[in-house]
Amino acid sequence: MVGRHRVVWAAPTIAVAQAPIMKGAVLPTPGQRLVTRRDLLKYGVAGSAVVLLGPLAASSASASARGRVSAAARSSNAVQRGGTLRFARSIGPTTLDPANTIIAGDIYTLDKILEPLYVTNPAGQLVPWLATGYEVSTDHRTFTFSLRPGVKFSNGKPLVAEDVVFSINRTRKDAAGPLSFLDYAITDIAAKSTDSVVFQLSQPWAPFLSDLSVFANAVLPADFAGQSEKDFLTAPIGTGPFTLDGFTPDANSLTLKANPNYWQAGKPYLDAVEFLYVDNDNQRVLQIQGGQVDIIDTVPPANVSSLKASSGISVDLFPAWQVDLLVMNERLPQFADRHVRRAITYAIDRPALVHAASFGTAKPGGSFFPPSLEYYSASTPVLDYSLSQAKAELAQSKFPNGFSTKLLIDGGVQKWVTFAQIIKAQLQSININVDITPLDHSAFESTFQKYDYDMFIDYAINDISDPDEMASFEVDVKNGGSESYWSDYDNPKAITLVHEAEAEYDSTKRAALYAQIQAIVAEDAPFVALDYPPYIYAVSDHVNGFEVNPGGAYRLEDVWLT
Amino acid sequence: MLRYAARRVAAAVLVVFGVTLATFLLMHLEPGDPARAVLGLHATASAVAALRRQWGLNSSLPVQLGHFLSQLVQGNLGKSYIYNVSAASLIGGRIGQTAALVAVATVFAIIFTVPLSALAASRQNGVADHAVRTLSVVGLALPAFWFGIVLIEVFAVRLHLLPVGGEGSGFGGHLESLVLPGLTASFAMAPILVRSLRVGMLEVMDAEFIAVARAKGLGELRVLFGHVARNALVPTVTLLGLNIAYLIGSTVIVEQVFNLNGLGSLLLSSILNRDFPVVQATTLVLGAGVVIINLATDLLAARLDPRIRLR
Repeated sequence: MVGRHRVVWAAPTIAVAQAPIMKGAVLPTPGQRLVTRRDLLKYGVAGSAVVLLGPLAASSASASARGRVSAAARSSNAVQRGGTLRFARSIGPTTLDPANTIIAGDIYTLDKILEPLYVTNPAGQLVPWLATGYEVSTDHRTFTFSLRPGVKFSNGKPLVAEDVVFSINRTRKDAAGPLSFLDYAITDIAAKSTDSVVFQLSQPWAPFLSDLSVFANAVLPADFAGQSEKDFLTAPIGTGPFTLDGFTPDANSLTLKANPNYWQAGKPYLDAVEFLYVDNDNQRVLQIQGGQVDIIDTVPPANVSSLKASSGISVDLFPAWQVDLLVMNERLPQFADRHVRRAITYAIDRPALVHAASFGTAKPGGSFFPPSLEYYSASTPVLDYSLSQAKAELAQSKFPNGFSTKLLIDGGVQKWVTFAQIIKAQLQSININVDITPLDHSAFESTFQKYDYDMFIDYAINDISDPDEMASFEVDVKNGGSESYWSDYDNPKAITLVHEAEAEYDSTKRAALYAQIQAIVAEDAPFVALDYPPYIYAVSDHVNGFEVNPGGAYRLEDVWLT
Repeated sequence: MLRYAARRVAAAVLVVFGVTLATFLLMHLEPGDPARAVLGLHATASAVAALRRQWGLNSSLPVQLGHFLSQLVQGNLGKSYIYNVSAASLIGGRIGQTAALVAVATVFAIIFTVPLSALAASRQNGVADHAVRTLSVVGLALPAFWFGIVLIEVFAVRLHLLPVGGEGSGFGGHLESLVLPGLTASFAMAPILVRSLRVGMLEVMDAEFIAVARAKGLGELRVLFGHVARNALVPTVTLLGLNIAYLIGSTVIVEQVFNLNGLGSLLLSSILNRDFPVVQATTLVLGAGVVIINLATDLLAARLDPRIRLR
């Protein structure tokens, strides 16, 4: 599950001819009005009501969101100010440098302090944040962003264009880190005036705005407000709703205080947020049951029903751009054989898997795009469970009598252990004998990255609103950053389509391209999409307005306590 | 006494060295790469190689060991790969928590042990004796983590008397947060101590000087605690020392169950992150702790019973 481990920021290492920015429905037009809190709530309801994750998710998520909205919507007087939110998380931060992390514990701390030009709202849509909008040249290579007036850093200094220039130059080259490739297409950034910034791109690039919304592209004060980089990163100064007095790595808690200079007048509602780091799943569940904390993340699916039964606690399931994958190593002869991969896909009963391991919280897998992701195609020709088809495929392969193989998992996650046992039993029925190898997290990752595996189970998250990230990461073997999620899957047709989609403005055409990609991947079966899990949080009833976006991020300026 | 102490200290230093060496070898034999753990999934091969070079992980094992030992002799425990601060400062921030947990657990163990074993010994083969003996067997059989969760469920979740976990704030809050973990840890050692002290007391009760004490007209309680318990104490002190040493190891589990930020949880997370310097430094400190407790026990036993030093 997310949070407990390093987040797989499934993302493409850019490169190759790419495309112009699209102006689809979700992208804001220049000068678009400020998004109000009510809008956000509206998106939240739409998100939970539209992108339902199974019947249980539906009843829980939409009911609780409805309850909160109606309370907030009665009148703004209903909002109560003050108080400290106690939030138990599975993982704490080790650094607050936005340019140099991809770890959940770091990201979901620093994104309360530092903000980017755009953010992804709980419904998964991009909304203008520190920018109010942009103008784009006809060749789609020059973007001029207007900065939001009246934004101040927590030290009282106003946000100016130079701050944006400094910050994004730092992320893309001066302190380039794991996500600097998202800024690949940027060739130059310049301040046009104090409140407008010009970006030059080397080529038209459809996911540009989405890429700008990533936490790594958050805006810092230019030259770290006169401090040394090290001192600054210990107590960053940002435009976000909260501030931090100081940060000690390895501490077991961290307190954020309300930023009195926050640009959304009257927010945040909370006085402070106390993050407590509790890596033991059971402890986290007990702490919310004991009333010691108000919110916990990464609720194990097995605990969902008991937590729902606890009075005063609701369990919220937020749709995630996440897919759990069984990956097969195509450098081995068995898995280079397309018939074998198809046989394995047919043989795995994904509804049964989800039923046993997710206790009704997740949805069975099909396409490698999760249904919540834009351009997911419901008509993807998925190889649904069928034992007879599985046997027929295997009979056509070079291994008609089956073989023995190994399945590598992160043994620290109960869900993977359950998945592996079920898969082992199911593949037995087509004479494929599976030996399960559980390793701890870091050994697991370094082992599959060295291709020292037969099959492994892991997950991928699309952390920005554009699906290009997941498509490149899992299909573009040369330039996607992960050699098709370390499967070595290489289909030139699919790769060409990924690049075409990056260059396409028209959302109908783009949808058609992604549908084609999903169909090819479903037929080739380089990996089995096992399930689509939601993010699961347990929230005390006195917490209002808590929402998580499908990339896994949550903003806390709208949260209030009763 | 001095020669005895010197011999024990020399042996202790050897043991600590052995522990350090074994940890070093085991950590480096395990699969998993700290550079990959730090850099994450997007790391390029050259970035991983550069970081490994910076940390000296590409040199041969004997060279790495030599470097580690020479640093150690200079009092340098190394720097954490993950947190980028010295391992000593990480340990410094955590050692108090573990020491407090061990202390509270020891106090609880003594509080349970002395009255229960006295009760059992004074009513040999009676109902109370059988009850205490049964209880101690049951206590011995219960896994610590399970017992901890039951305590949390009852006292924290249902009754709201004590915190579920974490460290609390202020001295009072801190002490409160140690009650359930302390109880849990003490239950791992109290049963053995109860049985040992009970047997010891029964043996002493048959001694002639006890008959003399009774004949002098001393009250039964005075006889029990003034004469019997005191003379039965030596084997129990030794056992207590051994159990505290064992307890230091079991803090890894108890700290996990109760979300305490001590050395045990530091050790676990460092192992999972392949944070070699912190694992080595933490094992060294825990190993030294165990050895020091054992040493203190030996010396205390020698002080209580002069016959021990002569052996």
